[in-house]
Amino acid sequence: MFRLIVSQARKHPSLIPLFLFIGAGGTGAVLYLTRLALFNPDVSWDRKNNPEPWNKLGPTDQYKFYAVNTDYSKLKKEGPDF
Amino acid sequence: MLNVENQKPPKGKWTTPPFDPRFPNQNQTRNCYQNFLDYHRCMKAMNRRGKSTQPCEYYFRVYRSLCPISWVQRWNQQIQDGTFAGKI
Repeated sequence: MFRLIVSQARKHPSLIPLFLFIGAGGTGAVLYLTRLALFNPDVSWDRKNNPEPWNKLGPTDQYKFYAVNTDYSKLKKEGPDF
Repeated sequence: MLNVENQKPPKGKWTTPPFDPRFPNQNQTRNCYQNFLDYHRCMKAMNRRGKSTQPCEYYFRVYRSLCPISWVQRWNQQIQDGTFAGKI
């Protein structure tokens, strides 16, 4: 498939931006899905050994890309231990 | 099993639950459920050790603030019937 893309790009160079943008978009989608699958605290692949993965987040762990108003370095753990 | 509906709610001022970084998004369903579970687990652990259950009130207040009353009633009913799905 990549050889086909390269040969088409040589024959019609104006297609190159198209291939670049489609490639970047597809790669971005795959990478984001991988991040969700591996790092999202709501996802549990092994329910027996990892039943509540969101409890593994500490008070200062940030999963979001950009937090508007929340200063994560100042948060503490609420709720008593038992 | 502890009958939650017969307990009086704790006294004092109730402020709104603080930000929980485990649940940063708009959907707070899991926050509600987790605090409900934590309250019951805390009660069970404290009763087993014979200590006062006063620290568990924090979780009680949070889940009462966050959860719809119908959910709390349904879960309490399930706990009484023994059909509650969560691990307590």
